[in-house]
Amino acid sequence: MTQPFLSIRKLRKAFGAFTAVHNVTLDIPKGEFLTFLGPSGSGKSTTLYAIAGFQDPTSGDVLLQGKSLLSVPSHKRNIGMVFQRYTLFPHLSVAENVAFPLRVRRRPETEVRRKVADMLSLVRLESFAERLPAALSGGQQQRVALARALAYDPPILLMDEPLSALDKKLREEIQAEIRRIHRETGVTILYVTHDQEEALHLSDRIALFRDGRIEQIGTGEDLYLRPTTDFVAGFIGNSNFLAAEHLETVGGASTIRLADGALVSGINANGSFAPGQKTRLMIRPEAFRLERSSNNAELSVEIVDVAFYGERRRIVARTSAGQEIDIRPTSSAAATHDASPGRRQVFFDPAGAFLFPAPSKTGKELTY
Amino acid sequence: MSVEAQQGITTSRIPAGLGGLFPALILIGLFFVVPVLALLLRSVTDPAPGLQNYAALLGDGTYVRVFFNTFVVAFVVTIVTVVVAFPVAWMLAIMPPALASILFGIIILSMWTNLLTRTYAWMVLLQRTGVINRALMGAGIIDQPLPLINNLTGVTIGMVYIMLPFMILPLVGTLRAIDPMTLRAAALCGASPFAAFRRILLPLSLPGIAAGGLMVFVMSLGYFVTPALLGGTSNMMLAEMIAQMIQSLLNWGLGSAAAFILLVVTMALYALQLRLVGSKRAAGGA
Repeated sequence: MTQPFLSIRKLRKAFGAFTAVHNVTLDIPKGEFLTFLGPSGSGKSTTLYAIAGFQDPTSGDVLLQGKSLLSVPSHKRNIGMVFQRYTLFPHLSVAENVAFPLRVRRRPETEVRRKVADMLSLVRLESFAERLPAALSGGQQQRVALARALAYDPPILLMDEPLSALDKKLREEIQAEIRRIHRETGVTILYVTHDQEEALHLSDRIALFRDGRIEQIGTGEDLYLRPTTDFVAGFIGNSNFLAAEHLETVGGASTIRLADGALVSGINANGSFAPGQKTRLMIRPEAFRLERSSNNAELSVEIVDVAFYGERRRIVARTSAGQEIDIRPTSSAAATHDASPGRRQVFFDPAGAFLFPAPSKTGKELTY
Repeated sequence: MSVEAQQGITTSRIPAGLGGLFPALILIGLFFVVPVLALLLRSVTDPAPGLQNYAALLGDGTYVRVFFNTFVVAFVVTIVTVVVAFPVAWMLAIMPPALASILFGIIILSMWTNLLTRTYAWMVLLQRTGVINRALMGAGIIDQPLPLINNLTGVTIGMVYIMLPFMILPLVGTLRAIDPMTLRAAALCGASPFAAFRRILLPLSLPGIAAGGLMVFVMSLGYFVTPALLGGTSNMMLAEMIAQMIQSLLNWGLGSAAAFILLVVTMALYALQLRLVGSKRAAGGA
């Protein structure tokens, strides 16, 4: 068995009676872009801070190439970090901010200059070297922070919601920068965010946190297409949850009865269900079809509203049991198959729908 | 019509405003400008017109030594005050607000306590048979009483104690404006706690140190009570000398000249501080 690059072992952090992180265990290979995704208070930042050395875990360990980091103070961990708020040193120029980690390491002046020039060109801010941070926009400040965090070639870069203070357009711009920098430098990145789109765009893998535990870890596609719990299904992407009664499961394919009495078989079952158990059927809005095709299940709905969203349309429909669902056909499909308000049948592939136990504490209905 | 009305307002506003300021201007003129001018006048006319008072002060070694001594004391007091005040101010800046306001209350309460009382209290503590010397001797740390009073040590201790609030208050304001995350960022960049202090915290708190430091320095230059009670005869300060010139020697001209020199030096220092810190601030805010 090869040794993992960065390893989090049964990490636990309690603040008095409240446990922020419960026994999180995670291996991160070198060069990976791993995102900790989750709602606020789910323990993702606490885990990151334990790696940074800002918080001592109650128990557990953090190993970098097999060596524990816990006894190493923050300033000797050699980890880069970009923070949520702008943390540039306000009295130092952009170039001196980037030079700071090299100066405290007493690197020779020629090396400092060369490295600062490299880093500023990496984040495309060469012409801003002599400016003070206050003279930069928020996006530029975060790029300088990125340059500063990478200036000493740290093996790991931590990013704690670095884009949350920026507006949408800037966020997308810096996301592209971060992807490019990850590609060019090959640094291992641990990224914390509560924004699922950001996580899906950036990451090699996503660890979805909930109440201090990792709910599911995998690629964005794993989490989106193969969610293991209804929380994951509700948090990543948009989901419809339909009340359903489980009838039987044979060879991983379940048969259920929907609230309107329709029977659907061939559903992917997550876990085991008893006959008659109350369950919820998750179907992605874009998995609904307006046209019938073989093996598809059907659902009788009344279309209430249709809105144009560019490449897709967003249809609000109501099942005969009175539950509102969200349907997102492509605009061309909607035009071809008449998605105007009124009663009609919609179709879905049972193999692309997932069955979860009901009720769930925090599962979100019809998230958008 | 509306243009005329507007003009009417703007033209009548200036005299109206000045009229309102008039009592205040008279007050400032009568109680601040006139006395200083009278002081200046006296210093060059008493006992005879000319600059002989200034020549006497700056030409006599004894007087020059008093000036020098005054600056040394004020400088030492300022430095010690900064060193003692900084950790207190930092603690006040980062501690929970409820606790900080209690500590602020205690510091301000000491400012409100009578100055003379506090200085006499220090005499009791510092004298040869005082609490400190007896405690140290009782513990066997020293066998001779330490000379803590009637010298520079006594003056410094007493004055630092009195000046501390004037340093702590502006410093807390500056330190509170520093984002603690900046220091975490410095730590992850590889800065040891000392390097983070020297390269980040200290430069960022410089405006507060300069503001408090100037206040302490200027107040110390003209201080009378504490040096008179805790100091010795060999290191007299300027305020004591002025008191002696006027009370004992009745030499108003010489006393005025000494006071005027002190005023000019103080103003020069203030101008210097404005130049140094003011320009740095402007650059930082650009």
